[in-house]
Amino acid sequence: MDPAERLASKQKQISISEFFEKNKHFLGFDTLQRSIITAVKEAVDNSLDACEESRILPEIRVEIQRLKGDRLRLITQDNGPGIPREDIENVFGKFLLGSRFHAIRQTRGQQGIGITGVVMYGQLTAGSKTKVISKISRDSSAVFVELGIDTRRNKATKSGESRDIWLDEKTSEPVPHGLKIETEMRAKYQRGRQSVHQYLRMTSIVNPHASISLIVRDRDGSTIEEDEWQRTTDRLPRVVSEIKPHPHGIQLGSLQRMLREAEERKMTSFLRHNFSGVSMRAAREILAEAGLDEGRSPKRISGDDAQGMINAFRKVKLLSPPTDCLSPIEDLLIKKGLSKAIDSRFASTITRNPKVTQGNPFQIEVGLVFGGDLSADGPIEVLRFANRVPLMYQQGGCLLTKALEAVDWKRYGLDHPGGKGIPKGPAAVLIHLASTNVQFTSEAKEAVSDNEEVFEEIRLAMLEVGRGLKGHLKKSSQRKKAREKFELINIILPEISKKSSEILSRDEPDLAPIITRIMDAVFCEEEMGWDDEKGLATCSITIYNYTARARAYTILAKWPEGDGTAISDNPLGGAKQAKGLWAWRLDTLNPGTATTIHFGVSGLRKGEWSDAEIFYRGNGEVIGASKIDEKLLEELRKSEALEAAEAELEQPKETIPQLKERAEDSEASQARPLVEGQTSLFGDFTTKDEMEVDE
Amino acid sequence: MDRQKTKEEVIDALHGVASEMHDKMMKGNPPTMTLPVRSKSNIGFDKKLGVYKYGKKKTVRDATSLGSARQLLRALHISEFVEGMISDGKTSTLREMYYISEGWGHGKFSSQNESNGVSEDLEIVTKCLREDFGLRPEEDGARIIGNVTFEERNRRGDWMRINCRDDVGDSGYGVPYNVESEKLRMVEEDIDFVMAIETGGMFDRLVENGFDEEARCALVHLKGQPARSTRRIMRRMSDEWNKPILVFADCDPWSFRIYASIAYGAIKTAHISEYLATKEATYLGITADDILAYDLPSDDLTKQDLNALEAELSDPRFATGWWQEQIQLMQEIGKKAEQQSLAKYGLDFVTDTYLPEKLATMGITY
Repeated sequence: MDPAERLASKQKQISISEFFEKNKHFLGFDTLQRSIITAVKEAVDNSLDACEESRILPEIRVEIQRLKGDRLRLITQDNGPGIPREDIENVFGKFLLGSRFHAIRQTRGQQGIGITGVVMYGQLTAGSKTKVISKISRDSSAVFVELGIDTRRNKATKSGESRDIWLDEKTSEPVPHGLKIETEMRAKYQRGRQSVHQYLRMTSIVNPHASISLIVRDRDGSTIEEDEWQRTTDRLPRVVSEIKPHPHGIQLGSLQRMLREAEERKMTSFLRHNFSGVSMRAAREILAEAGLDEGRSPKRISGDDAQGMINAFRKVKLLSPPTDCLSPIEDLLIKKGLSKAIDSRFASTITRNPKVTQGNPFQIEVGLVFGGDLSADGPIEVLRFANRVPLMYQQGGCLLTKALEAVDWKRYGLDHPGGKGIPKGPAAVLIHLASTNVQFTSEAKEAVSDNEEVFEEIRLAMLEVGRGLKGHLKKSSQRKKAREKFELINIILPEISKKSSEILSRDEPDLAPIITRIMDAVFCEEEMGWDDEKGLATCSITIYNYTARARAYTILAKWPEGDGTAISDNPLGGAKQAKGLWAWRLDTLNPGTATTIHFGVSGLRKGEWSDAEIFYRGNGEVIGASKIDEKLLEELRKSEALEAAEAELEQPKETIPQLKERAEDSEASQARPLVEGQTSLFGDFTTKDEMEVDE
Repeated sequence: MDRQKTKEEVIDALHGVASEMHDKMMKGNPPTMTLPVRSKSNIGFDKKLGVYKYGKKKTVRDATSLGSARQLLRALHISEFVEGMISDGKTSTLREMYYISEGWGHGKFSSQNESNGVSEDLEIVTKCLREDFGLRPEEDGARIIGNVTFEERNRRGDWMRINCRDDVGDSGYGVPYNVESEKLRMVEEDIDFVMAIETGGMFDRLVENGFDEEARCALVHLKGQPARSTRRIMRRMSDEWNKPILVFADCDPWSFRIYASIAYGAIKTAHISEYLATKEATYLGITADDILAYDLPSDDLTKQDLNALEAELSDPRFATGWWQEQIQLMQEIGKKAEQQSLAKYGLDFVTDTYLPEKLATMGITY
């Protein structure tokens, strides 16, 4: 045989299993310890995605059993929609089949290697078939089937298929819908920072709508590890819309493919229909810049011309892509997720507004928890996530870590030796990057690669939670001081008085003037509570005047004002000062007296409100409260007034995008005058940016 | 000299502490406790007494912070407890008092160190000894072997006569925690000097070699940093029998401190230095000179050793020319040596050669 022919036939035989073997490091199967994590990850990500798409609150069970040698059995079960019988082979049997590969929106996985890799790995290392039980709600019975992979033909092979009623092992009830996967593989179960347990714990933090459980059993059936993370919200992540690519994020190859497959006849239409952020005016400018005729057919654009277009994209002013394709977790849910997994004293979270980098929308969320059970020695725990997927390896090389390290944490109360590296202290920081296109440093997808805009957003978010931490630490040290003083005057001083009088057989002194001398300050103490009967989050603020003079104050408290929350049970009345800020004017407080403000907030759940910030207006210092910054308050009021005024104009403004759509549709059918007519109708309300749309 | 206070004097002194607090409160002020500053900077040489004492710097502890207020309350609890013990004729160890404080509510101690500290405060303020309070330390006193005779009042209240050569075993006479005249009488002696020895190994060597009889001396085992009663009994042997006290220790900075505490008093007990310190005590060895002269096996000085030596150079207790020379020589050669390194030349070398030669330089021959 001719050497070339021989080579060619050999190449044909390079099977998918060889491809797998060669690339297992970036498929996540490079070590035995990591293989089980990857397998769990693929199964759980699929379950979460499937539940999300079908709007089901996920219940996911993971069970791992140790078998002989280096073998593990992995069983995962979800309550997702299940997979129709005819699709099972495709879902489990083909590489790179994922339907989401071409869609631009935020998804957990970004390529279709997923669960097929697990089936493949099990088959290659343990010679085992993957057992699948799938139940979809419209069928009366579930499909039971065993899967293998024909590595030559990149195709799944089914065997032993049957239909039966699927009874849940735990409840013995028929399962209405769901998927169960069972497979064996060579792998090692380990505990610690890089473990299945940690992966699921992290997953539960950023998926507060999911209930996840884990059980790991030894060969003899005894339990090695067991944990359960219950959902903390019934709100599913919002449905993300797909968006068209933005010119700033497109590569030459992709542009050429899009041109080849284009159905539009004219370049202007091609640009406006296939990209986001491109208006008619922008399309014309791009084409002019690239020296292309507007009427040219997209299919006939040469490689050089395409390159010219790429260059033109940079020079023409474009609208940003829409950001509703992102699904942030949102700060309240991050707080809940974190407090579910980590017992702490303080949590500060922030969801930044979406931003765009290189044509890709992204959004940063950061959460910081402090105190409680967290270990005080050693570096803080860094929890990194990209599109709700935990990143567990390559922490040092990751942009998210670098941005964290760039903050001067000493200023915010954490130990940060030399201002370098991970700060130390009893804290954990969560960083979530949501983006339509997360750029990783390598195919292993464990570290986010450098990007200035993303870095800056994370840094700003860190500063914000850092300020929260600083405030908390200041407050707790003040609180500690106040508590000590109270103990001093209420317990120790009376005992000193009693004991010294006893020893000397003398009369006890009057303590009131001594207490005033020792304290010489006004103290403020607040206590948060929960009224089960009324379903109210309660707050009591007590002001003690331990000075020699009478005092008069106005006390202000921050409360979670929002949709559905309201102040109730507020006997002292008071008045609203600004959004989320209520004020009470107190009667004159005589020396040695105290008064208490009590109020409740409805519309919250137990534990949702755990920290009220207290301010005061008046002379002298009030320990335990901050003096209100009148200027800041004034600005706050002004901006609120402005917002309110804008809100009144909101109605007509919101029709602009719809208008744009209609306008473009009609433009496509050559009905231009209509566009211009409509423009003038709403001309009063359009701003500069929106003018572009209508030109 | 007898400095023992009567029960009434002790109780009066304790009432003084309570009285300062009560008086302040009656005037509408937070209660206070005034005591000397207890740091190296407030230790000065008392020319009249020849020992180091606290200076005039006073600090006022007042009840304006929780920590100080607790200390005041604890001092009152101890006062009450001590008053009770005095009237019942009991004593307790500091550790026992620490456990008894469990019942003192907010006045209870959170550590033994804390209770020791407050007792020391009370000693200083009242100018009493903790022996006056009936508070005993945990650590036991020294051992003595030699031809000296004491009378000790035993627990039945009888006076027992003990000769420290004939009436004791090889471990010697155990010095009780209280060696004041109500408990211990100095009866008679037939010795020329007292030798205080740092380590048990050397003490036993000298005993085995019969050095006490051969050299006509009393051997005192210091057990490292000597307990108060050990220092006090040496002081009494010096005062009442007029015997020289020679200190035989390792050659290292820590041993120098042992000597200083015997001769001039320790910082912790500077309030009672005039009762504890024996200014006539002499450092016999081992000196830095000896390391060179006898070519003794030695170890390199550690970083901590060097730091300690540096600190001693500025310590007023080592301000004499002889000590400055010795410390500087030691820094120069960078070596330290143990007493037992003399065994390099055989078990009898210390008693046959080293000690006779050293004693001769001090004018003691036998």
